[in-house]
Amino acid sequence: MNECERIEQSMERWLDGELGAAESEVVRSHVDSCANCGAVEQRLVKLERALGNVLAAAAPRIEFAPFWSELERRIDEKTPWHKDLRERIHGWFAVPRTAWAVPALIVLLIAVLSYDSYLPFWRSRNNSATVVSIDAYGRSVALLREDESKTTVIWLYQNQEGDDEAAEETPQPGPAF
Amino acid sequence: MELSDWELVRKCQSGEMSAFQELASRYHQKVFMVILGLLRNRDDAMEVAQETFLRAYRKIGGFQGGSSFYTWLYRIAVNLAIDAQRRQKRNPLDFRENMDDLLESQDEVARDPFAEVHDRELRENMIKAINDLTPEHKAVIVLRTIEGLSYKDIGEILGCSEGTVMSRLHYARKKLHDKLSSFL
Amino acid sequence: MKLLKKLPSRVLLFSWLTLAAAGILGAAEKQPQTVQISIGTILAGNQNDEFDAKLKGMEAQLKVLKYRSYRLLKNESQTVPWRGEKAFEIPGGRTLTITPQEFQDNRVSVKVRLTQGQKPLLDTTVKIPNKGNFILGGPPHEGGALVLSISAAAQ
Repeated sequence: MNECERIEQSMERWLDGELGAAESEVVRSHVDSCANCGAVEQRLVKLERALGNVLAAAAPRIEFAPFWSELERRIDEKTPWHKDLRERIHGWFAVPRTAWAVPALIVLLIAVLSYDSYLPFWRSRNNSATVVSIDAYGRSVALLREDESKTTVIWLYQNQEGDDEAAEETPQPGPAF
Repeated sequence: MELSDWELVRKCQSGEMSAFQELASRYHQKVFMVILGLLRNRDDAMEVAQETFLRAYRKIGGFQGGSSFYTWLYRIAVNLAIDAQRRQKRNPLDFRENMDDLLESQDEVARDPFAEVHDRELRENMIKAINDLTPEHKAVIVLRTIEGLSYKDIGEILGCSEGTVMSRLHYARKKLHDKLSSFL
Repeated sequence: MKLLKKLPSRVLLFSWLTLAAAGILGAAEKQPQTVQISIGTILAGNQNDEFDAKLKGMEAQLKVLKYRSYRLLKNESQTVPWRGEKAFEIPGGRTLTITPQEFQDNRVSVKVRLTQGQKPLLDTTVKIPNKGNFILGGPPHEGGALVLSISAAAQ
């Protein structure tokens, strides 16, 4: 960064009287000797003057007596309780939007993580059972999980050697998974 | 001997209405000018100025002196004015017409007609450019330009850091200059 | 309070309040006291193409088994306490015994035992999503196979 860029960065603060004495002197010396920075200073001064003229000139002088008279009337007027309550509540919650962004994000995060408690249709999409343990006592068992319908199936096959119940039931072919 | 703002505040807190009247007398014009700078409409500015002092009266019991009275008062004024700005639904043309009425009602010495046209155009474009700023940027410009407040005081009024005040001022001035360079 | 005057303090305060509220609500979500176990006993077969209208809600699940016909034989629901046992009669002299084990992460763990008379056919422990189900099938019956839809809903 060259000297002019550094000075330009401090220019507004210098013109606003926000620089310390030593720093102000540095800026002043440079501006006095540099045509470019001098032009920048002039530009800022012109803008500030024009702004001041427009803003200040537009403000008419207001007489205090009628102003106070109206204010006194408002002070004496009893505020409806609901308006007073609304103002108190508004004062508490009237923070910049960013103050609410963080709690809102927290609530959103909790909602996303807990969606299945609140959305029945989502629940069915997440209907995946987990088989923790299985003992078929020597019989053949098939486990199937079908993703689309989120179906978990435990299929117990009839033992070919014949369980005692086979005498009553005719074994049928298992499902064509 | 003139009492300080803080002494008057203490008297208000003890129930002396005359003390509040003295404070109102000291600051009513300044508050009105700041609000007018933000709202650009005299009637709205007057309404907000009244509301500012009414709120100040109601809340003065809770004022602890953590900041100066005038920054506390300006904070109320600027917050109310920013709220009012957000509620305003008028189009920019109305603002310019209001401002022209205001400016024409001032006593003006007859001048070079060309200069007058130039000044008028500058005024109109300046007002439009100011209105195009966000409420927060408009607030820093108004408080700095009209009141000449320090960055620290502006930061206290707006509830932001000095660094934020500086960057908002820089941004607002750059925007205004970009729009008005042909007139300046 | 001065604490509430500064934006970062307000953000922090509101965030902590939100987290505290969420934590309290989460803790206040009582552990369920009982479980409602529902058993749907279905006969699957290939002798015809009939699909019982009462099973419409399970159509997608049953189609996985690729039988041609499905008929609802029985639907039974019982409230069972945790670690308590409940026996359901299944056609063909069979018994299905359900023991709810625990409730965690919105899933119900159930121990399932299928017996025929005194003989155990199958023991399994399954974690089902709360109000979800799984299918246990295979025992032959009336020319087809029994399909049991076992669901659990914590209460």
